[in-house]
Amino acid sequence: MRKALLFFLLALLALALAQRYFTEEELKLIQTGGKAYAEVFVNQRPDQALCSIHRNRLPADLLPQFLEEQRALIKYPQDGKLMGDWRKGGAIFNNLQKANCFSCHYGSPVHLGGDVGPSLEKYGLKRGQSEAVQRYTYEVIYNAWAFFPCTVMYRFGALGALTPEEIAHVVAYLLDPESDFNTKPAVGSK
Amino acid sequence: MRATWLLLLALALGVALGQEADPREEAKKQKELLLKTAGILPTELVVAQGEELFNRKGPSGRTMAECDFGLGKGVLEGAAARLPRYFLDTGKVEDLDSRILTCMTRVQGFKPEQIRRSEVVAVAFYIASKSTGHKIQVRLLFPQERELYALGEKLFYARTGQRDVGCATCHVTYVGRRAGVLSYADVLGQDKSWTHWPAYRYSNDQTWTMQDRIRACYGNIGHPPPNLYSLPILALELFMAYNNNGAVVEEWPAFVR
Repeated sequence: MRKALLFFLLALLALALAQRYFTEEELKLIQTGGKAYAEVFVNQRPDQALCSIHRNRLPADLLPQFLEEQRALIKYPQDGKLMGDWRKGGAIFNNLQKANCFSCHYGSPVHLGGDVGPSLEKYGLKRGQSEAVQRYTYEVIYNAWAFFPCTVMYRFGALGALTPEEIAHVVAYLLDPESDFNTKPAVGSK
Repeated sequence: MRATWLLLLALALGVALGQEADPREEAKKQKELLLKTAGILPTELVVAQGEELFNRKGPSGRTMAECDFGLGKGVLEGAAARLPRYFLDTGKVEDLDSRILTCMTRVQGFKPEQIRRSEVVAVAFYIASKSTGHKIQVRLLFPQERELYALGEKLFYARTGQRDVGCATCHVTYVGRRAGVLSYADVLGQDKSWTHWPAYRYSNDQTWTMQDRIRACYGNIGHPPPNLYSLPILALELFMAYNNNGAVVEEWPAFVR
């Protein structure tokens, strides 16, 4: 009983310590932007608040817990396979409305890539298809913040833009030696 | 006429494919081309339309020359370069768009629902044209200005939504890098983006003020856009304008890609 009370008090304390980025006053001003607009700010996640407060450079002492929390968000496909169908993955990778990977990463044989993120040209040929490479690729796409805290790359799995199965398809698109991504030249390559 | 459009299209395509092309140089070329073929620029047409609306009498019998845009009744020279600012008569921080709205409702006697956005934009183009060559001079004097500036700064650096994005995520961290056709402008620094709007955007045939531009930015990062004339827009504007203080307005309304 006492244990439960202690736990409850600790939970309250944790809630109080969770840093907010916007004050109540500021959120009131934001409300004039309209309901849909304001909701995005009212519902800012604690990890997003942390990245906002520290302008994307988290202090070293916050990193271990932050990384651990991000890691805990990663889920895997039901069947345990981290490489799905590369054709389906290509449709996701190269779709502006879907994952839009090509806008930031170079290497797509369909669209000219950008240079916000690192080049992924011939990703699978350079890295092979070992379990470790599959896992790393899957996890970075699922939750990039578990590796690069506060990076610009969307947390595709963690925030629900892609399902675990869809991410496995993208992993296959990048890694499978038969995939167009590895057999066809990247748009813009010389 | 057909050949003109084909030429325009080819030029636009050239911009899309030529990654090294400086978008500002391309815009200059486009502008010259349009001037040569049409004899008049879309910006000039909208400015003329705005001038007409400015001198039109409202239900109260008054024209917009009876309104104070910050430097006194009817004074337009350099007025837009000093906005947004706090106005004592409304007790609010207003930018060019919202001040035009105030003028049309409080002085000219229009009902808010009678006011068309396209008219506000046209008048904004006209008034802004009187600030070409002026320096941006925005101040944080009143508490209301400081409050909005602080909110604008926070909004600019916020990470929110399903994509964890905010303005600074690209326009500070990835300045000069490219996701899509154009590289990210250094909005707070050397690109002086505040001075690029209001503008005619030839790639999409849009006449936009900074309010429209900010709403489109939010659209691009998957956020629902803020309402026109709302405080978050004013806050971001004040933050950007203040950080571009001292920049000379090359041309208002601008002609951009």
